[in-house]
Amino acid sequence: MSKVVEVSPTTRHEGHTKLVLKVNDDGIIERGDWLSITPVRGIEKLAIGKTMHQAPKISSRVCGICPIAHTLAGIEAMEGSIGCEIPDDAYLLRVILQCANRLHSHALHNILTLPDMYLPGTDVHINPFTAEEPVRSVALRIQKLREIGQTIGEIVGGEPIHPSNPRIGGMYKNISPRAKAKCYDLLKEGKDLAREHMEFMITVLKDWDARPTASVAAGYEVEKTEKFGFHDQGYMAVDPLYASTNLDAEPKWYPERWTEVRPWDWYMGEQEITLDDPNYPNHATTPAGGKAWPQMEACTAVPMYDGAPVEVGPRARLAIFRNYDRKGAMGLQIARQMEYMDCFYSAIEALDALDTSGSVIADEIPQGDGSLGWAANEAPRGADVHLAKVKDGRVQWYSLLVPTTWNFPVCSRALEGAPWQLAEVIVRAYDPCVSCATHMMVVDEEKKVVAQKLVQ
Amino acid sequence: MVLGNYKTAVSARAADADILKCSQDGGIVTQLFTYALEEGIIDGAIVAAPGDEPWKPEPVVATTKAELLAARGTKYTISPNMMLIKEATRSYGLDKVGIVGTPCQMQALRKAQLYPMAMRKVPDKIALAIGIFCMENFPYMGLETIVEDHCQTKMESAVKMDIGKGKFSVYTERGALSQIPLAATHKYEQPGCHVCLDYVANLADVSTGSVGSPDGWSTVFVRTKKGEDVWSKAVNAGYFETKDIASVKPGLDLVTKLATGKIDKNKKTLEARATLGVNKGLRNPYI
Ligand SMILES: Cc1cc2nc3c(=O)[nH]c(=O)nc-3n(C[C@H](O)[C@H](O)[C@H](O)COP(=O)(O)OP(=O)(O)OC[C@H]3O[C@@H](n4cnc5c(N)ncnc54)[C@H](O)[C@@H]3O)c2cc1C
Ligand code: SF4
Repeated sequence: MSKVVEVSPTTRHEGHTKLVLKVNDDGIIERGDWLSITPVRGIEKLAIGKTMHQAPKISSRVCGICPIAHTLAGIEAMEGSIGCEIPDDAYLLRVILQCANRLHSHALHNILTLPDMYLPGTDVHINPFTAEEPVRSVALRIQKLREIGQTIGEIVGGEPIHPSNPRIGGMYKNISPRAKAKCYDLLKEGKDLAREHMEFMITVLKDWDARPTASVAAGYEVEKTEKFGFHDQGYMAVDPLYASTNLDAEPKWYPERWTEVRPWDWYMGEQEITLDDPNYPNHATTPAGGKAWPQMEACTAVPMYDGAPVEVGPRARLAIFRNYDRKGAMGLQIARQMEYMDCFYSAIEALDALDTSGSVIADEIPQGDGSLGWAANEAPRGADVHLAKVKDGRVQWYSLLVPTTWNFPVCSRALEGAPWQLAEVIVRAYDPCVSCATHMMVVDEEKKVVAQKLVQ
Repeated sequence: MVLGNYKTAVSARAADADILKCSQDGGIVTQLFTYALEEGIIDGAIVAAPGDEPWKPEPVVATTKAELLAARGTKYTISPNMMLIKEATRSYGLDKVGIVGTPCQMQALRKAQLYPMAMRKVPDKIALAIGIFCMENFPYMGLETIVEDHCQTKMESAVKMDIGKGKFSVYTERGALSQIPLAATHKYEQPGCHVCLDYVANLADVSTGSVGSPDGWSTVFVRTKKGEDVWSKAVNAGYFETKDIASVKPGLDLVTKLATGKIDKNKKTLEARATLGVNKGLRNPYI
């Protein structure tokens, strides 16, 4: 007989979610629903009627870890709608900003991941906050990498959290030669650190994969299963590093392949919780006797590509553009580490090409006739697609399909076959950003989720 | 305390004759920034450079001596120098920022350092703050009216403006001097200056002004550790001529008198605001 266990809230990721898990007698997940229970903020609705300049600055506030993705995707969707081509140097600055953000975000995620992992060759979980070596040096290295990412974000983007420099038509400011040199020095300094760090992380992650048992953080050990975190869904990515928009000569994303269903159609119905565990790390699981109703409680829509959920993120990028084929939760984690170096080399290359006296704003910024524009930015967590219609400088319609929204249903599938006690390890592999994912749905008076049918 | 905390007060002027050619008084601001730039104490300074219209300053981040020289001289109108304080640490890429400003701008700076509201990474990058004495300021239209109507001088012709000895003076390219009593300018003052309780830039590292010292010389207060460090090094390196302030006329007595006058007058304005309405008053930012 299967039982239902609920982990709520989940920890060590951005935002507010829970896991509703149907498990067999051995505690292996038969069907898992991972869902957002973050309050909906309704960015897309309130953007309507605002100027095209303001809306992306609002959507930046969807998330403070990847605001650069939302700012750039938002702006480029507006530019896509009005048909505005930006100057080369503005593009290069955006690329550098993108690299800086990915660097800091991946490093931040290491801190969230490491407590589940072990010091290779020992049974000691890594506590990133310990003052003891060797972990202390690792934590300091992570801090340094983040500092480098955020400092470059500050210089190039005006601000690392909610960048002020990007604007419709390009950027407000080019950087000074001194600023360029400073970024260069920071990147050179970080490059070697990052290589060392990437190697460390991959060793740790592979060590975890090879273990017969594991636990979440400092919890009790359970036996692992083969194919931990595998799923059969496809991948979606538009670029190894930056983005694709409808203005590209060969766009890499296709609005017509995207559909969306309500959580109602996809998640489990009402469940009674029949299994609980007062010793689950951090806090107990939900006491037995309680009820869970994923269909009703989920705060995100379920986007599909070619009619099925798809994984987005580092592995999707590497799988599509670099023939990467490692599956499972650790396959995804390792892919993330493998992106470190590209952040550095791409940023250095873009800096090399940057002319600090070049213009960074388009000569002409059309006001738009209501055409559909879209931009898919490869955010740290995957393709962040913004779609917009701008007319006379105002937003008529705006929609955000953010990475974690794409990943919710895929990750839910990937839970199947894993011991429920390790479900959070799978969730964390996706580096979920739930504020990002929960930006849109509308709930009516009866608390019914009113999904939105989008592009006609 | 009307003169604020300070370690030393001197009368001084720049040793560089080039700087003195167009400086307002003793060229303290330009000389000290030049020295700090050459020594790597700052890697740029926010100054009030010439703008699009005559005598309308535009804040810039100066990173060369030439840019500092171009910003010499007092513009008696608002130059929002603090506008660039964050940007200087962003697209300009500065790590050690210098800034010159009136007492209110020094207050803004210190407030940003202590309470950095949306001023991420700014506080620790402030390397040298030079304050200039300030009795009051004028909006640009006010200045234009004073110069063009009261002083009967085209703004474009003016090469220097100066307030001192109870007069507003305009010097022209062709050597003419036009003066009016300061009383005639009062109605053009920016109203916000009437609640200002700082005359000699109490919160700067080094503050300077003309009052107290002879023409061509400046009165200088060295206030903070940072200020003392830069100032003594610059003096030792021969960048300034200095005189004991006690030996010059009119000296600190006049500075104290003017500072007291400003503060007393503006305190009254502040007090009056509390009861300006019937059973209600206007806001007081100091409480
Ligand atoms: C509005 C105003 C009122 C003043 N009132 C008095 C006074 O009552 N008594 C007194 O002794 N001194 C006063 N001063 C200061 C004085 O006029 C000189 O600025 C000061 O002595 C510096 O001279 P200096 O030769 O050392 O500087 P310089 O080497 O000539 O450099 C002057 C510096 O001040 C900057 N500057 C010019 N105008 C402004 C502005 N509007 N806002 C901010 N920065 C500016 C310039 O960019 C330059 O860097 C006032 C200055 C201003 C701007
Ligand atoms: S009088 Fe005070 S408020 Fe007015 S400009 Fe001078 S310092 Fe600023």
